[in-house]
Amino acid sequence: MLLEARNLHVDYGDASAVWDVSLDVGAGEIVSVIGPNGAGKTTLVNAIAGLLRCRRGRLRLDGCDMIGIRAHEYCSHGIALVPEGRRLFAKMSVEENLELGCYLAAARAVRAQSLERVYELFPVLREKRRQPAAELSGGQQQMVAIGRALMARPRIVLFDEPSLGLAPAIVDAMFDIIGRIRSEGAAVLLVEQNVPKALGIADRAYVLEQGRVVTQGLPAELLRQPHIREAYLGV
Amino acid sequence: MNVGRDLPKLVAPLAIGAFALLPGAGLPAFYDSFLYLVFFWVSLATSWALLSGFAGYFSLGHAAFFGVGLYTTAVMAAKFDVPFLLTLPAAMIIPALLAIGIGAIVFRLRRLRGELFALLTLAVTFVIATIILNTPIDGGGGIFMSAVPLPSLMPTPTGTLYVLGLAICVATLATAWKVGHSRLGMGLFAIHDDEDVAEAKGVPTFRFKLAAFALSAAIAGIVGGVHAMFVGFITVSGTFDLTVPLYVVLMSVLGGSRSWFGPAIGAVVITSLLYSFSGGSEAIMGRAIVGVVLIIAILWLPDGVVPELRKRLKRWSSTTAPASVEVAPVVVPARPIGDRHVLEARGVTKRFGGLLALAGVDLDVKEGEIVGLVGPNGSGKTTLINVISGHYPLSSGTIAVDGLQLGTLPAYQIARRGVARTYQIPRPFTNMSALENVVAAASFGGPPRGSREIHDEALHWLAFTGLAGKEDVLPAGLNLHERKFLELARALAAKPKLLLLDEVLSGLNPAEVANAIRLVRAIRAQGATIVFVEHLMRAVVELSDRVAVLNEGRLFALGAPREVMRDPRVVSIYLGKAYAA
Amino acid sequence: MPSVTLLGQALISGVLAGGMYGLLAMGLSLSWGLLRLVNLSHFALAFLSAYAVYELGTTWHVAPWWSAALVVPAMFCIGAAQHWLFDKFRVNELASLLVTFSFAVILEAGIQLYWTADFRRYETAYATRSIKAGPFFIPVLELMLCLVAGALAWGTWVWLTKTYVGKALRASAEDAEIAAAYGVNHRKLAYLLSGIGAGYAGIAGTFIALIATLAPSEIWTWLGVVFAVVIIGRLGNPLGALLAGLLIGASQSVAMAIFSPAWAPVVSFSMLIVVLLWDPEWI
Repeated sequence: MLLEARNLHVDYGDASAVWDVSLDVGAGEIVSVIGPNGAGKTTLVNAIAGLLRCRRGRLRLDGCDMIGIRAHEYCSHGIALVPEGRRLFAKMSVEENLELGCYLAAARAVRAQSLERVYELFPVLREKRRQPAAELSGGQQQMVAIGRALMARPRIVLFDEPSLGLAPAIVDAMFDIIGRIRSEGAAVLLVEQNVPKALGIADRAYVLEQGRVVTQGLPAELLRQPHIREAYLGV
Repeated sequence: MNVGRDLPKLVAPLAIGAFALLPGAGLPAFYDSFLYLVFFWVSLATSWALLSGFAGYFSLGHAAFFGVGLYTTAVMAAKFDVPFLLTLPAAMIIPALLAIGIGAIVFRLRRLRGELFALLTLAVTFVIATIILNTPIDGGGGIFMSAVPLPSLMPTPTGTLYVLGLAICVATLATAWKVGHSRLGMGLFAIHDDEDVAEAKGVPTFRFKLAAFALSAAIAGIVGGVHAMFVGFITVSGTFDLTVPLYVVLMSVLGGSRSWFGPAIGAVVITSLLYSFSGGSEAIMGRAIVGVVLIIAILWLPDGVVPELRKRLKRWSSTTAPASVEVAPVVVPARPIGDRHVLEARGVTKRFGGLLALAGVDLDVKEGEIVGLVGPNGSGKTTLINVISGHYPLSSGTIAVDGLQLGTLPAYQIARRGVARTYQIPRPFTNMSALENVVAAASFGGPPRGSREIHDEALHWLAFTGLAGKEDVLPAGLNLHERKFLELARALAAKPKLLLLDEVLSGLNPAEVANAIRLVRAIRAQGATIVFVEHLMRAVVELSDRVAVLNEGRLFALGAPREVMRDPRVVSIYLGKAYAA
Repeated sequence: MPSVTLLGQALISGVLAGGMYGLLAMGLSLSWGLLRLVNLSHFALAFLSAYAVYELGTTWHVAPWWSAALVVPAMFCIGAAQHWLFDKFRVNELASLLVTFSFAVILEAGIQLYWTADFRRYETAYATRSIKAGPFFIPVLELMLCLVAGALAWGTWVWLTKTYVGKALRASAEDAEIAAAYGVNHRKLAYLLSGIGAGYAGIAGTFIALIATLAPSEIWTWLGVVFAVVIIGRLGNPLGALLAGLLIGASQSVAMAIFSPAWAPVVSFSMLIVVLLWDPEWI
């Protein structure tokens, strides 16, 4: 397994807590974590990305123990985060945002190719590369956030609610991109509230409710289980 | 038991008496002038803390008000021969008006808090100083006070100034004590901790800040008025330099600026330190030592000496059992759902720039009803709550609560008309105990009541939400679950006609959720009308009389929970068309 | 109304005086804008450097440029050491203001103890030299100060906008958590930036030693106007700080020529008040 989380327990400030979550992501796999708001999805990805500390549990990336290393060292192990709400560096230009993605030496060495690849994926960003990120539309900002993650040349990309606040057509485009990222070799851990989209693209999925994994499996199987319906509709 | 409240009542009269008799004791004039300086700094530091310590609006412009008061007296007495004592009321009123003028502009701008307010007030000081210097008020030459007769309240002139200083100092401390234990003080402390929440709980923040600013400036002004006589020769550079604003900040921060007598402690310590090194080159050493003391104090006692001592004191006395109060139940008999509409929203629209967050929502909520507000992320649920509670102004549409149009009422007025809300991420007043949090919400939000009654009700609501025994705990000492319930207790204590709950259950573990659901049921049994945003759908279905589904800023479906949540259109926005079919 | 020549000369000397405002503002602007630390001791560090240059020059006869080569790295170390304290105690914006004020007072006391409160003047050959351009005189030292300030502002701007370290610092100022997720070790960079800010105080101090009369109490003379410059120039923007400095220097000087010297402070602080009320999002 590329990413192995075992019995993770994260409990941080007023963030929704996560209790005893175990999940795996294999190389080249797309794994979705779905669940209603407040289930702890964002807490979980933030912990995997190193933004939050885990109280208990194990986190391994390609066999390397990630617990105890410092927040700024996660990236060098091949994890890149596309955070909820984008969290771009709003006053900096589009290109500067992208360049922050390749801050580490290994990624910096291939900056030109990475940049070219991102502009190929999102041609509109090439036009706007000198504009401050804050001036972009929501969809374009999401493109920058994804581009920033790709610049790091990650082995696994963590997506946190990439469809949030975007128009349906743009959501479709984002999910196409997620598919392409996988086809180019990176694994994807996708946290998403939009169930049809998240299950449509995933190889496997986990359902998170109140900080726990209530069920997991292949997307088609999950849809047949009552858990999702209960979690989302309460009936 | 309550040291902060009872000790001053005993000690104060004795101390005042002793100090008042001191000039007659035949001490050298040196002592009179030293003690005068102590009174001077105690008054200035305490007056600064009224706004900057209590409400957290950190001002570096205290010299402006002090200086304007000083020049008011100097000009009236030296140039227009007004008797000295008669100039003092003017020395209070003019700085107070100046503060109200500045506040009326600055307090309307949300962004001008923190260090920007500090710098703005500092800039105002320099501008006022320059204007005084270049106009006939001063004229550049300074003003001599030597010809101004000093009323002989005491045998010696220094004695007279001493007594005036003492009187102002006592009055200032009394004012600070009074404010600290009043509704105004409670509101200011709430503003200090979280101004938006204070407003939403019914604190008229703008008026309170203006009042505190005016009071603070008035005291600084009269201190300046008396100081004009003490100084004798008045210059702009001597009056408006950085000494006053910086020393009052240092003194208050050292002593504890949120406490009414913290600044006084700091002022006594620093004045004594400076005075004991007053001889020539030693003065600079005194300042250096003050610097060292301050660095140590800020790094190790960031809240100041007095709050730190209080904390220690509390720890020692924590073995004593909390005073248990027999609480009269405030339970209102359960009522069936009425026909009267508590909430009537028509065409509610909210735009953020180009984003249409709410696109014309109509929603009626009947008395005693629980309406669950659900929908995907970004569908406008929390925005609707924010608009009803007045946190955001409406773009268009109307909202009426209990038949009364809210229109463009400020949030605190809406709170007083019976709308209470909780926050998804709890936002308690961090420097107030759990009990004080609830008392503040009850005093500003509910109908006017006596303080005893409010106190008992607050205890009742804390017990009701399972927080009995945690009355004296600061919010930081509560876990997320308890902080969420504290939010509920605060909202309930305001006796709202309409209760808005924003994700009370999110982040709780299953046992806590079950607990919270029981609590919401109990609230409902008392006849409350509730609109709640929630993502835990089992709870929504279980608790709601009706469910309103929002999608993309519009009311998508409304009706009985089980029917609505089985509606294929609703199912499809959550789980996709394939699933709904 | 004064003559055109007089106004022109006022404008020139104002712009040149503004160079000093800009130079002093740069270090403050960097630490405030990018680290959220308000460093009042910046002025005291500048004067400490000035006294050091004075001492080296008068007692040891070291040329000021060589003194600067010693003083600036020393200031860098002091700045980094200060940051260690801020880092260790997690000092916030307001507390940093009070702590650094205390530093400044202690430094002032130290300076007074060693060099006494007397006014001191470092007499050098170039102090009085000036270039004549048409009807105007341009003092050489002030011109050099402006050129150095300009080079530093431009260099810092390039460093912040064109290098990875500079971009990482700006990114961390906006969202340190996400910057860290992309590998930025913000704490390490903060030491570097604090050192650089203090190094600028060293450079400013060298010029203060050459241009101004030194006295311990003079530490506070520039405080108000430089703060106005920092804000008007936008926090964290070295070019903005320099331009705001030149602008305020020029307008003060012209106001002094037209009205009276005593009106000068109104110019900068009115500008500051207008900026804050006009657009509170400015900084």
